[in-house]
Parts: sequence; C-alpha cells; structure tokens
Amino acid sequence: MATAPPLSIGELTVRYGERVAVDRLSFTVGPGEIYGLLGSNGAGKTSTIKSVVGLVRPAGGTVRVFGRDVTVDGLRVKEQVGYVPETSLLYDALTPREFLEFVSSVRHLDRSVASERTASYVRAFRLEGEFEEPILTLSYGTRQKVLLIAALLHQPPLLVLDEPLNSLDPRSVRIMKELLVRYVAGGERGVLFSTHTMEVAEQLCHRVGILDRGVLRGEGTLEALREKVAAGDATLEEVFLRLTEEGEGVRAAVDSLGAPG
Amino acid sequence: MSWRDAVRLSDVAFTELSLQAIYALRQGNLGPPEPAERMVPRARRRVVQSKAIVSFVLGLLAFAVAYALHESRTVASAFPFAVPPGVFDAGLLTGLLSLDVAFLWWTGMQVLPTFLSSGVLPVLEPLPIDDTTLSRVAGLLYLRLFDLPALTVVLATPLLVGFALGPWAGLAVVPGVVAAVGFALALSLLTGRFFVRRVQGSRGGGGRALVRWIYLVLWLVPAFALFGFVTAAPAFFDFLSHLSVEGPSTGSHLLLAAFPFPLAALPAIASNGAGGFGLDPLGWLVLGGATAGYLLLAVWAFVWVLESVRRMSIVPPAAARPVRPARLDLVPRPVVLAVLTKDLRIASRTPGFAFLVLLPILDAVAIGLWTYVTASGSAAASNLAFAAVTTAALLATFFGPAFFAIEVFAFAYGRTLPIADRSLLGGKVLLVALMYLTASAIVLGITLARVFDPAVFALFILAELPGVVAASLLELGILFRRARRRGMPVTNLYAGAWYAIFVSVPGLIVAAVPLLAFQVARIHGSPLGLTVMGAAALAELALAAPFALGRDGS
Repeated sequence: MATAPPLSIGELTVRYGERVAVDRLSFTVGPGEIYGLLGSNGAGKTSTIKSVVGLVRPAGGTVRVFGRDVTVDGLRVKEQVGYVPETSLLYDALTPREFLEFVSSVRHLDRSVASERTASYVRAFRLEGEFEEPILTLSYGTRQKVLLIAALLHQPPLLVLDEPLNSLDPRSVRIMKELLVRYVAGGERGVLFSTHTMEVAEQLCHRVGILDRGVLRGEGTLEALREKVAAGDATLEEVFLRLTEEGEGVRAAVDSLGAPG
Repeated sequence: MSWRDAVRLSDVAFTELSLQAIYALRQGNLGPPEPAERMVPRARRRVVQSKAIVSFVLGLLAFAVAYALHESRTVASAFPFAVPPGVFDAGLLTGLLSLDVAFLWWTGMQVLPTFLSSGVLPVLEPLPIDDTTLSRVAGLLYLRLFDLPALTVVLATPLLVGFALGPWAGLAVVPGVVAAVGFALALSLLTGRFFVRRVQGSRGGGGRALVRWIYLVLWLVPAFALFGFVTAAPAFFDFLSHLSVEGPSTGSHLLLAAFPFPLAALPAIASNGAGGFGLDPLGWLVLGGATAGYLLLAVWAFVWVLESVRRMSIVPPAAARPVRPARLDLVPRPVVLAVLTKDLRIASRTPGFAFLVLLPILDAVAIGLWTYVTASGSAAASNLAFAAVTTAALLATFFGPAFFAIEVFAFAYGRTLPIADRSLLGGKVLLVALMYLTASAIVLGITLARVFDPAVFALFILAELPGVVAASLLELGILFRRARRRGMPVTNLYAGAWYAIFVSVPGLIVAAVPLLAFQVARIHGSPLGLTVMGAAALAELALAAPFALGRDGS
C-alpha cells in the first residue's frame, strides 16, 4: 500500500446509456507529479474525473487512489482527495465561512489547523470582504476560490482539479500555479489536472495525457509527445492537434468561416 | 414584438423554469440517470401536478363555503348568537376570500425563490428583444406560476356561489375573486422581493441568523390562515351579530371599508337584499367606495406585478456593504452536528425548508396557546397540552422526509465529501428530534402557567422521544436504500413527491404507537401510561436503529 501511486486508472470505461464517454482508459499519476488531462469538449476528461471522485460509477475497469478501489472503499478514498469541480455549484445559501466550516468538520480538522489554513488562503486570495456573504451573491471567480480553499483545506495527498483556473483573476492564477508546484515538491502528493489551456499545461504538468472521444491518444512528457508526432520544437497545442488529428479540421473550419465582417 | 411573441418566449422560459424547479440543476444537483428527453415532459408534468394540488384545495374551500351558504340556516343555528342571513353569508364569503388570498400568497412564497434563483429571465436579457416584450414575458411567466390555482378561484367560486345563492350572487362575487387574486399576486411579489433582499442575501453571523428566522416565522403567517379563520370565526360572527343589532355605527362603517368584507357583501346583498346590513346613506357610500377602491387597487396590482417582475428577477440578492470580518477562524464540529448546522443554515435562507422546520413547532405552540381558553388546571387544559405535543411529534415525523430534499443542494459536490451515511442520517434524525423537542419545550413553557402536572407532562415528552427518533430512522432507512440504489439525493421531487409522503406513513404509525399506548394505559393511572409508552417507544427504537444504521457506506 505504501508504494501505491496517488492515482492509478486501469481500463476505465464510462458509459451514459449507449454512449461511451471513456473507452478503456489507463494512466497513472505518480508521487510528486502533476498530471494534465487534455482534450476537446466532450473528450471524456470530466467523466474520468467524476469516476475518480465517486460521482460516476465506471462501466468497467478500475480507479485506485493510493491502492484503494474507489468503488469498494469510497469513503477512505474521499478522505484522501481534494476536488475542484468544473462548475462552481456550491451550497448557495451558505457563506464561505459556513461552507468551509462544514467541509472542515467533515474532514475532521482540528479547530486551530482549520482556522490557520483558512486565514492563510483567504488572505492569499483576498477573500476577506466576501467571507460572510452568501455564496449566491459571489462572482464565479470568487466561488472558484472558495472551492479551491475547500479542496486544499485538509492538504490531501491527491488533488483532483477539473478546469480549476477557469474564471480566476490573473493574480489568483499565478498563486495557484506556484502553489501546485510547491504542493507536489515533497515527492509524495499527486495532482490530476484537467484543462483546455495548453499554455497552463505546458508550464505546470510533468506529464500530460491527451484524450480524444474517450480514448487516450498519447501520454508522457512534452518531449516524449513531440517525439511521438515527430515534431522537434512543436508547442503542446500543435502536438495536441496532431495527436487528435484535428489540425486539418481546424484549418478547414477557419476557411469555411471566411473573413469576419 | 407582439403579445404572441411574448407568449411564445414565456412558454420556452417556463419549460426551463419547470426543469429547474424539479431537478434543481442550477443549485448543484446531479441530473437523474435517465435520457434528457424524458426530463422536460416529466418536469412539466410535476409542475402541473403541484398546481393541481393547490387548485384542488382552493376548489374544496369554495365548495365547502358554497355548501355552508346553501345550508346557511342550519349552519347559522349552530352559533349561539343571531346573525341576519345576508350578513351571515357575507361573513362566510369574507372567510373564503381571505383564505383565497392567503393560499395564493402562500403558494407564491413557496415558488418565488425557485423563480428568482432559476436565472431564466436574466438569460433573455442580452438577447435582441425589446423592453416591452421582455416585461411581458416576465409578467406572463409569473402569472403562469399561479394560472391553475388563480383560474380555480376566479371560475369555481362564482359558479359555486351562483349555485348556492343564485346567478346574481355568483356574478356579484366576481369583483371579490378578481381582487383576491390581484392582491395575492402583488403580496407574493412584494414579500418575494423582501425575501431576496433580507433573507436570501443576509450575511453570516448568529445575530443575523436569528433575525432571518424571525422573518421566516412572519413568512409563515399566511399558512396559518385556515387555523386563524377557524379560531376567529366565532368571535367574528359574534361581532357581526352585535353590529347588526346596533345598526349603523362607526364599527359597521369600518367593517364595510375593510377588505374583503365589502366585496363579500355584494353577493350577499344580491341574494338576500340589503335589509340585514341596516345600511344608512353613509354605509352605502362606504360600501360603494370601498368596492370601487379595492377593484381599482386590484387592477393597479395586476399592472404593477406585470411591470415589476422583470426588474425584480434581474436584481441580484443582497446589497449589503462588504465588511471585513475581524476573524477568519472556523469552528469545526462533529460530523453529525455539522450536517445539522449546515441544514439549519440553508433553511434559514430558504423559506420552503424553513417552513418544514417551523410549521410543526408553530402548530404545536398554537394548540398550546388554546389552553388559555380553558379553565386553569382542568382536564381540558391537560388534554390540549398533550394534543400539542402529539401534533409536534406527528408533524415532525410527517415533514421530516420532505426536509431531507435539502440534500439536492450542491449534491454533486456533497457526494464527493467523505460523509458516511450513518453521519448524514444522524444529522437528519437529530433535526427531527430537535423540532419535536423545541416544540414540546415551548408547549411545556406555555402550559406551565395552567398547572396540571408539569412533571407528568415532561415525562410524556421524554417518553415519546425514542418513538419520534425511531420513526425518523425508519423513514430515512427506506429513503437511503432507494437513494443509494438510484444514485440521487435522499429525497428529490423527481423521485416523485409521493415517495416522501409514502415513507411518512410507516413513520407516522411508529410515532403514533407510543402515544396510543399512553392513552390506553393511562386509564390505570399516568405512571403506568408513561411506563407503557416509554417501553413501546424504546422497543421501536431498538428495531428501527439496526434497520437504518445497519448498512454504512460512502
């Protein structure tokens, strides 16, 4: 158990009725690693993440967090995971304080630890002014900050972040990027990170997996992926378009649109 | 754009509103595990069903009053004072119109938070639609929340009154029902705006939470309209009797000016003549002026509602000034208490859920207050106090399952937190027990002054507690099994509201058994009654606990 990786996904299949959203997907997030899951809309990123946090029951395959099967030992897995969902649909009737109090209770945090960490994050994200306002009244960016704090509060050994930087202001994006790098620096924790933004993935992720219509088209470091598509100095965006065979499609789409105006 | 375009747009918007009202997806609920194309028709069907239930109640009220009007001589003879036939009919119709306003207002208060939080109208705002059409769409959308109940009032009441008192009376009640509907729509919108500003957007903190709960108690006032009407009816008819004997007076003129009496008097006069009312020229003037005034006010209310809905639905809640809190510390609690606190905090900003918590308490308190119309220390006072606690136990058991629908809020997020079913269940059971104990403690406090035997009464409350907990555990045990099997919140409307009602049947039986055991055994003295009651309640708890807590999971 001690040597088990933070996250190990094997032959994962997710179905919604007849539609296959994820098709026999396998990858691992190692200790000390930020793993980026890249893909177009509907590629299967969120379905994969939902399988990890127990929101979707896989039709096949396994999802293990530090060796524990999500479908068998769900409660223990949830204790080890911090999760930021794609949409910030929270308890709208609670204030950030009330929400974080609930989360810290559920996570069995000591009062002083919970307060100390909350105060640090709230100050870092400049949330003091909104701390007692109902979440309903907060902007999307502010809600996203509240979600990030909730995910980090118990310093989980695995962070699962679904488009976590969406709606954040540039300052907060920078803080999050640096925070994530430090978060895994100890070499034990892992981060699974989904994004559309290639620049962010390129800067932040040790390895990336490129999903296309539920299938993993490529996986590895940027260098390894460049080698795979035989493009020595290509950006991650170019590698992505080649692997998903969307390069031609993009050109054709732009041509069909013509010049604006 | 024309009215036709507005109707077409409001139809699309109403579909979205129905979807949000039933599935609460914008409040963080997970969609049901079924094809999307089934969700829309099901949501529309459920909304129509909800409106049909309210309409049925309103129709039933109109029928009951029409029947009483038809049999007014027999009904009037039940009162110990003489009221002229026309005035008696006006009194009954005053009650009916007041209840119509109260029920429609209450309906509005229940649906308005969903209407405002659905975000349907703000979606239309950036589209190239002119202001007039947008206002019309908003107005039509709001009217559609009330269509079936309002039509029931406007159509069924004149028909039934016409059947009971004759066609002219049926026609003469039309201004009354139009005014009732107009005022109810306006009151719903006004109180809705108040809710958005003062309750939904209220900042955190203990003091503010207390103020919110006080507002929410006020919010519940219309729900007690029927109770108030039944309680006040004898005094009201006594007052009418005095006025009719007294003849024209300041009191009778004030009554003729007070809503909805003048509008209720019209059909009574159309049927019986004005003889019983003893109207002097000033009385006729007041009656005519008040009728015209209320009708004009109702028309203005309709216009105001149509013009204001759009503005109100796009105004964000709470205009509180940002204040830097002095402290950023958190107070984590044991998980069971955290669940309870979270639910109460959500309920304090969500009237629909606050209603379910407060109603058993307020209902028990209202019955407890009745002990003050009985002789101090009498058996009647004692029985009323027991009845109040019994009501609290049964209503807490009945409303519990509906309250658990609070889990739909942020369900998709909440499910990712490591909360064991046992802790979640514990929090919910604790809430039901708290509702019962709060109501009982207040009743005990109120009735102490009536001094019958507070020790026996306190033991009665404690002896029933395991029964209430057992009932709640049984209901939750059933709900949890179903919810986990289908991967959805503990209760949700799309699971069928009937399911929450269905599970409350065995719950009510379990809660009632110790109460019945007490009633049977107390013939041989209160100590035996309490012993049997406590034993029955504990036995139920011993059976229900393993059923509910036996299977733990994630």
